[in-house]
Amino acid sequence: MSGLEGTITDFLKLTFLSMVPFVLASQGTMLSGRTGVFNVAQEGIMLVGAAVGFLVSYITGSNLIGAVVAMLVGGLFGLILAYFTTTLKMDQFVVGLALFFIGTGLSSLLPKIVIGVTLTPPLVPTLREIPIPLLSQIPIIGPVLFKQNILVYLSILISIALWYALYRTNLGLKLRSVGENPKAADALGINVVSNRYITSIIGGMLMGLAGAYLPMVYTGTFTDLMTKGRGWISIALTFFGAWSPIPILFGSLFFAAVEVLSFRFQVGSSIIPYQFLTMLPYVATIIVMIFTFGKSRVPSFLGQNYDRERRTL
Amino acid sequence: MTQIKKIFPYLVSVLAAFVVVGLLLWVLKFNPLKAFETMLFTSFRTPNGFIQTLLKWIPLTLTALAFTVPLSSGKFNIGAEGQMLVGAIGAAAVGIIGKDLPLPVLLPLVILAGTLAGAFWGLISAWLLYQFNINEILSTVLLNFISFSLVDFVATGPWRDPAAGHPTTVPIGEGGFLPMLVKNPPLHSGIIIAVIVAVAIYYFTSKTTAGYELVVTGANPRASKVHGIDIKKMFLFSMVIGAACAGLAGAIEVSGVHHRLIEGLHSNFATLGLIIGLMSRGKNSAVPFVAFFISILEVGGSAMQRTVMVPVQIVLIAEALILIFILLSDIVKRRQK
Repeated sequence: MSGLEGTITDFLKLTFLSMVPFVLASQGTMLSGRTGVFNVAQEGIMLVGAAVGFLVSYITGSNLIGAVVAMLVGGLFGLILAYFTTTLKMDQFVVGLALFFIGTGLSSLLPKIVIGVTLTPPLVPTLREIPIPLLSQIPIIGPVLFKQNILVYLSILISIALWYALYRTNLGLKLRSVGENPKAADALGINVVSNRYITSIIGGMLMGLAGAYLPMVYTGTFTDLMTKGRGWISIALTFFGAWSPIPILFGSLFFAAVEVLSFRFQVGSSIIPYQFLTMLPYVATIIVMIFTFGKSRVPSFLGQNYDRERRTL
Repeated sequence: MTQIKKIFPYLVSVLAAFVVVGLLLWVLKFNPLKAFETMLFTSFRTPNGFIQTLLKWIPLTLTALAFTVPLSSGKFNIGAEGQMLVGAIGAAAVGIIGKDLPLPVLLPLVILAGTLAGAFWGLISAWLLYQFNINEILSTVLLNFISFSLVDFVATGPWRDPAAGHPTTVPIGEGGFLPMLVKNPPLHSGIIIAVIVAVAIYYFTSKTTAGYELVVTGANPRASKVHGIDIKKMFLFSMVIGAACAGLAGAIEVSGVHHRLIEGLHSNFATLGLIIGLMSRGKNSAVPFVAFFISILEVGGSAMQRTVMVPVQIVLIAEALILIFILLSDIVKRRQK
């Protein structure tokens, strides 16, 4: 009995741990999408975040500084995206893909320049668990929810804060209106351009942090292409979560559970070839998309650029 | 005169990108001039360099077309990587199963199997788009990841070559090898197939009615629908044709270069294909030329890593910058009007 309980606790704990990059990247996607900026550079931004976060932590010896710099770099990518699409009115997918390439290239280049090729991988300390007094003593729920690293707590708090900001404040109402009908928002005196810039930058910061999480929790080091499609899955997850913070949080838990399961089975089973278990997260994402795409509510102006001088939208 | 005007923004973009990369190299304490010299002229110094460039040009042109053909109808195929790999699996499977067949039978079968397998992989995304309106960027990318596992499965399964350290299958039958055009350094005849495909796609999109419908769909889907074009069918069709090009690229790599399925045979062709497609601004006719330029940079880039010790990733940064500057030149043009 206690063996089973232990297995379940382990599984849930790992699921919450693995949820973080999905939560952060998807909330970033959601936030910028809510003003109409459809970021498709997640994978590239996460990779840069992972590389920069790792390198800065390695050099300064502080994960906090590493994470902050990764966020700043992510924010810079968000700023570039906003500038090219909102100000220069270029195609959002084209710019997003270009940023994805640049991010991927930079992430592979930077460690080679800064550290060079080494025989043993350079390591940074992984994030410590911070048990919350009393609460962490509760059986099962305690270790799962209240004995985690700081970013697990933070990603849940960010999700709740985003929900509150979007649905319970005047600012959020204005922001959402920009993504639904920018012309009407503009006529009401809401600054469409600045709203788009701000959400795109914050979105990029969240993606950068999502990337920095990977070396700081999983491996302690940076490896090429270590995001393994998590950025792309986050886009699908954002649709799954209907572009809304709380459903995205639960959706992230689901995708994290699939990831943990696919990894767990690979260690445990020999009946199913491990390659098919590696496929699991991607197959699950496609299946989920079949059931959610076209049904979930999407910001009306998603992926389009607003030009106030045009007569029709 | 108009030709020069057309090429001018490209030249300026390349120059601007090289200035930025040059500064970056200078900051990193490399010699920029020496690096650029290696990057640009390695292809033309030796016969081997030139043939290396042509060998890169084949898959790059095909994977770039895999992106630009769907883009003609306004769809983004990011899945050339997966389509190429599944094409390679199909080609290798037929080549191994039919290994005793003579060349006139086996070679066409291998090439055809690869092309169809790639087209099938693209059809999945196209169908998801057609049936469920699922964003094609996402489905094609996710299928890439699935294809990596598939290759690993095939290359470590019953066909595994036990002598190889890296996941690799046994060789395909000799009847499935593309004949060599030049023996030493080796250049296989896949280049002829690639040229024919590039010309055919150019002809199709610019001179035929069906191709015109495709391009019109991309330019204005709403107007096309009003004028009776089945735009959803156009999306499906263009995705499958694009994927077939990528599948063909995979088949040619198997039948012309490796003669077996090797994990990682896709290299970075698909990413570069995307960059080439975007640099060509989705124009199928520009793809072969841009692909040739990128092949020069790629061959020069690996030589640069060997001789001047500059990390090869610098080339990807240079290419991404060229792309950004080309895109920016569009805006400059728009402002001038």
